[in-house]
Amino acid sequence: MAKTRTSTDRRQRSAGKGRREKNRAAIRARIVSAALGLFREKGFDATTTKAIARRARVAEGTVFNYFETKEDIALHFFDLEVDHAIAAVRKNTKLRRAPLEEKLFALVQTQLEFLEPHRRFIGAAFLHALRPTSKLGFSSQAIALRNRYLAFIEELIHESLPRRAGGLFAWFAPPVFWIYYLGILLYWLNDDSQGMQSTLALLDRSLKLGVMLLRKGEL
Amino acid sequence: MAGPESALRRALKLAGLSAGVAARYASYLAQHSFLREDERERKLKATHAKAGQRVTQELAALKGPAMKLGQALSLHTDLFPDEILQELSALQMSAPGMHPSLVRTQFKISMGRPVEEIFRSFDDQPFAAASLGQVHRAVTRDGKKVAVKIQYPGVREAVPSDFKLLRTFARTTGLKRKVPDAVLDEVEQHILAETDYRREAENIDFFRARLQPLDYVTVPQAYHEYSSDRVLTMSMVGGVHLQTYLSDRPPQVERDKLGAHLLELFYYQLLQIGAFHADPHWGNYLFGPNGAVGLVDFGCIKRWSPKFVEHLHLTFLYPGDPKSAEFRRLMVEGHSMHGAKLSPAALRMFSDLTDNFYRRVYPSELEKENEFFDFGEEAFLKEYMRHATQLFRAKGTLPEHVFLARAEIGLYQTLHRLQSRVQTSKIVRKFLRRRS
Repeated sequence: MAKTRTSTDRRQRSAGKGRREKNRAAIRARIVSAALGLFREKGFDATTTKAIARRARVAEGTVFNYFETKEDIALHFFDLEVDHAIAAVRKNTKLRRAPLEEKLFALVQTQLEFLEPHRRFIGAAFLHALRPTSKLGFSSQAIALRNRYLAFIEELIHESLPRRAGGLFAWFAPPVFWIYYLGILLYWLNDDSQGMQSTLALLDRSLKLGVMLLRKGEL
Repeated sequence: MAGPESALRRALKLAGLSAGVAARYASYLAQHSFLREDERERKLKATHAKAGQRVTQELAALKGPAMKLGQALSLHTDLFPDEILQELSALQMSAPGMHPSLVRTQFKISMGRPVEEIFRSFDDQPFAAASLGQVHRAVTRDGKKVAVKIQYPGVREAVPSDFKLLRTFARTTGLKRKVPDAVLDEVEQHILAETDYRREAENIDFFRARLQPLDYVTVPQAYHEYSSDRVLTMSMVGGVHLQTYLSDRPPQVERDKLGAHLLELFYYQLLQIGAFHADPHWGNYLFGPNGAVGLVDFGCIKRWSPKFVEHLHLTFLYPGDPKSAEFRRLMVEGHSMHGAKLSPAALRMFSDLTDNFYRRVYPSELEKENEFFDFGEEAFLKEYMRHATQLFRAKGTLPEHVFLARAEIGLYQTLHRLQSRVQTSKIVRKFLRRRS
């Protein structure tokens, strides 16, 4: 129930801040959608802030008011993605009594569904994030995003497994899950089966296996 | 591509399976010299049963293709002891399933729209497991109660790699001598075809039209508009599985009626349609009151070669002596139509089969036409198994004969469990077109 209240609060808050805030949000959304469109068509690397501004019908300076670099736009997109997936799992009342593997499945699947139209860009962003100078991989925003995601994973683990089960391994599980998630993402990016059948199969079986190990509390 | 993970896990499973089962038998052999005769028998049965359970669990965990192979093997009754067979046949009905989130995802990806946009209601809990998927109850927007079969993800992608493994497995364990490559190839092709549910929907249409004359048979209606290659929506078919049917202790007259219907359905399909909806094993039927038969699972239909069926019209209920020159000539001709040469040993086997089995179960004399054959007796089934084993091993017979034998085993096992008494020849003769 607490979850519904938070989102209502957020809505009320944003309504209270009035029209200017709304306008800002609209421009931000326009910039993001213009950028995503360009990432998709031209690729992440070939897209310039100038082109983004032109497509969003704003001055280039306006883009900088919202995002320092195009990597910040990408990070914002991943923020939206994680918010969306966490909200979807929280909102789904049927999941409340589901086993852990199903909750995790629903989470990752929602993420992939969100990412699906931007596949090409995700592939480029993935490579980008590996560079030590990349904001996508190593900035404080990126780390905050990852922590938010993993905090939710931890929450799911704790509400599903009896407190003592898992032990050290359960404590260790979220970072392991992060590596697992990146692996799934990479597999999905290269999955050429129709209707992402291979990814679904891998996701389903590996989560079952992983949660089983977690329950036993050993590797 | 099935993915390295799944291939590896399957490989481990298969390896684990062979090791686990082999270890059970090894432990039995190690003990058996110390056991007395009767105890040895009991022990052997227990070993079989344990090994059987293990085979089922392992295959069920593999799901999909391997499970299908388990079913196919379970029809090769000669290969396995009864206890293992019982366990294998349990596969026909159960398999570990998909959770609701996966079901809904799979549905949405396959149909392009979420479940709730298409159906008024959808039951997240499956009510039946099919070999390559699971079946859910749903209600359409216009209020029709339907069964929705949804395929496990990645099944089609896994078939080639699974079979590669199975071939390796068969080669290294000596299973190959019993399950030849040709059988594996064929099972692979069938399973691959079975993963396309649109084909299954077409099969349903075909049998629904062709089986119209048999009013006790229910074929579901396929709803193409709610189906895709991995989702199949059809009308609900009433009835219960054999086990449940028998647990209600239906009276003899009911069982006779049902038996007659099953036998009629078998020969109607074979001799009039030239195709089987599935293996005539009890797992593919639902039974109801008044001899009602519901057909389920149209994934793997068998179309008989028209020439083979034509030949059956000539040889079935053969009125003369099966050791006569004319019968031999008929058999040789039947094989040469297919470009096959019938070996003398195979010819002898067919004569024996006709003499010892068919003439007893299906008397060809017109005056015996109204006689009932009691499928409850044990001896006939043993007799058939004995001949079928020879037939599986014989060189120079047609593959169609092997299929027919497998199908007949399914039919006879079902009739035997029902303990039906049936006017066999009378039923068959209705469908034979031939000379006097």
